[in-house]
Amino acid sequence: MSTGSSLGLGDVEIGDVWTRFMTYVVLTFLVMVNLVPFLFIISVSFTPPEAFFGDPSLVPANPTLEAWTKGFADLRDNLVNSAIIATGTAVISMAITIPGAYAFARKRFYGKKVGFYAIIVAMMFPYILLVIPVMDIWNSTGLYNTIPGMWIAYQIFVTPFAIWILRDFFQKLPQDLEEAAQVYGCTQFSAFVRVILPLAAPGIVAVGFLAFLTGWNDFLFSNLLTTGVGPVPAVPVLYGTIGGGSGERVYWGKLMAETLIIGAPPTVLYLFARNYLENAFAVK
Amino acid sequence: MSGNTSNTAPSSDSTDDPVRNRQRDSAGADESHVRVEQIRKTFNDGSVVACEDVNIDIDEGEFVVLVGPSGCGKTTTLRCIAGLEQPDDGRIVVDGDDVTDAKPKDRNLAFVFQSIALFPHMTVRRNIRFGLDMNTDLPDEEKDRRVEDVAETLGIDGMLDRKPKALSGGQQQRVSLGRAMVMEPDAFLLDEPFSALDANLRDQMRVEVKQIQRELNKPMVFVTHDQEEAMTLGDKIVVMDDGNVQQIGTPHEIYNDPTNLFVADFIGSPSPNLLDCTVVEDGGELRLRNAAFEVSVTDEQAAVLRERVGDRVVLGVRPEYLALNDAETNGAFTANVDVVEPLGDRDAVHLSADGQSLSAVTPQGRVGRRTDEVAVEMEIERAWLFETDGTRLV
Ligand SMILES: Nc1ncnc2c1ncn2[C@@H]1O[C@H](COP(=O)(O)OP(=O)(O)OP(=O)(O)O)[C@@H](O)[C@H]1O
Ligand SMILES: [Mg+2]
Repeated sequence: MSTGSSLGLGDVEIGDVWTRFMTYVVLTFLVMVNLVPFLFIISVSFTPPEAFFGDPSLVPANPTLEAWTKGFADLRDNLVNSAIIATGTAVISMAITIPGAYAFARKRFYGKKVGFYAIIVAMMFPYILLVIPVMDIWNSTGLYNTIPGMWIAYQIFVTPFAIWILRDFFQKLPQDLEEAAQVYGCTQFSAFVRVILPLAAPGIVAVGFLAFLTGWNDFLFSNLLTTGVGPVPAVPVLYGTIGGGSGERVYWGKLMAETLIIGAPPTVLYLFARNYLENAFAVK
Repeated sequence: MSGNTSNTAPSSDSTDDPVRNRQRDSAGADESHVRVEQIRKTFNDGSVVACEDVNIDIDEGEFVVLVGPSGCGKTTTLRCIAGLEQPDDGRIVVDGDDVTDAKPKDRNLAFVFQSIALFPHMTVRRNIRFGLDMNTDLPDEEKDRRVEDVAETLGIDGMLDRKPKALSGGQQQRVSLGRAMVMEPDAFLLDEPFSALDANLRDQMRVEVKQIQRELNKPMVFVTHDQEEAMTLGDKIVVMDDGNVQQIGTPHEIYNDPTNLFVADFIGSPSPNLLDCTVVEDGGELRLRNAAFEVSVTDEQAAVLRERVGDRVVLGVRPEYLALNDAETNGAFTANVDVVEPLGDRDAVHLSADGQSLSAVTPQGRVGRRTDEVAVEMEIERAWLFETDGTRLV
């Protein structure tokens, strides 16, 4: 029997070596896929346009901040819009899905099963299907080109998976805990607030973060439901930088800088939420 | 069947706000402390009857044990008392107040869960304090004092600032007892609290719980499926089967005088011998005849059996009341010795006679390991007789 030595000493079985080898292969692959383009993006963002089309190198010869300052100036207002839209999307979705998921997990009501599967099935179809009806309704209700309009539109993406994930989370928490809280002085509601919410916090933070990301990074709805005079978030601006597909010459450095600028806030948020997120799918 | 005092109709007050309208029963003062009246609870739209016609009176300071096989409705009954389950019918009265429709938190009862159910995100101290924080306006010093007192009583005072996860199973169950005790409740409800502990610890905790209950002098309802645990703990034992109360009585009453075949069979270890017999008359004398033996009955038994010559009855006798002698002596019948099972100071001897299994309990070493045959003598005056459907005849 293998002693489980991690240094390959003694009688290590061939299966162990193979597992280890495969781990490194997969790791290397993931690093290449993620890190190399990322380094490339960083590099390009500091490269002057002439150098990019001339003779680019990974470490630019004459690095410039021009792309960054231009990009940031272009994005500033839109970043504020993005922040408002993403935060609102996350907050509203939590307000809807926490009670909703709890009801699906614990309460008995008519049509529970059908309702739940309807929500799941709704996730299976390409969202582009929804573009026409959503634009139609948003236009006729005055939601078009407004921030609340965006908040509500994103609930279409966010609430089904949030309910799905949170329902599982609530279901896994032992019912005895709520009952104990009720015996020792809580109402059903305060038992939920004092016991269930804290224990489900990892799941709630994770789902809230994903909702924020959806609101922050979405292109489809943000492009279709806003116009230049409205609350345009940052991502459609990026599309503008590519030239909106118009075939004009693309300033690659600025595009890369903008990509990094847009990616930064969620990254920072992730670092703060990390402790919760890592627990989210590993809770007992 | 003792304990069925109730001739009260099920709850008739259907007022809107159960808490505010809790009325003191007129006869409150000298009644039992917790009363369960005619409780019935079904699940799945009535297809599962978890308990039915359950009546239990629990006096101040009384230790009541609910015992029965798995699925017989013990937990359901206890949860109805606690308010975690709403009975379909019947009333729960605590300290003279009808609490049938009250929320769990308004009943002033403490519940100790089989699963322990400590709040994992709180320290031991916060767990124990939880009820005080939620349900009382006591000043902080008073809460702290109570928590520390209770922790000391339970021997967990060094662990107050740990999380439950950092405690052993036994310590966790102590914390959960502590969470109940600080509330100074009207009664304690415990659902198989020690079933997750190993045997030694379980014995120790049993003794402690009984001591605590004696000191606090509060009613305690303790659920277990272990009849031995029930016998050692209970002032009063409630034997349940299939959703119904089979018998209520002291441990001695239950042991010596079971009301039916189920109780006789369930209580005591090894189980009593339950033997199918036919009533025969032999020259004016009534006897019970079985494939293996024939015994004459006592006068008291004869009085009941007189009308029933030719009928089949079940003779029940505890293993203790079978005396085993050398095969040559005159016994009622001879039997083969199958297994001798040491139980400490006594041995359980498993016998077979004409295709019937029997067991007897003898002092240690009375039946040697190589004994093949013994003469069995039955103390018929200590035997019970049952109808074949299980009801007790005498
Ligand atoms: N929530 C429920 N839904 C449906 N049936 C239930 C529910 N709770 C209990 N039952 C059923 O009611 C019956 C009594 O259950 P209960 O839990 O009271 O038994 P118990 O005596 O505590 O058994 P155990 O010793 O196994 O804990 C069982 O048949 C059980 O399947
Ligand atoms: Mg149970």
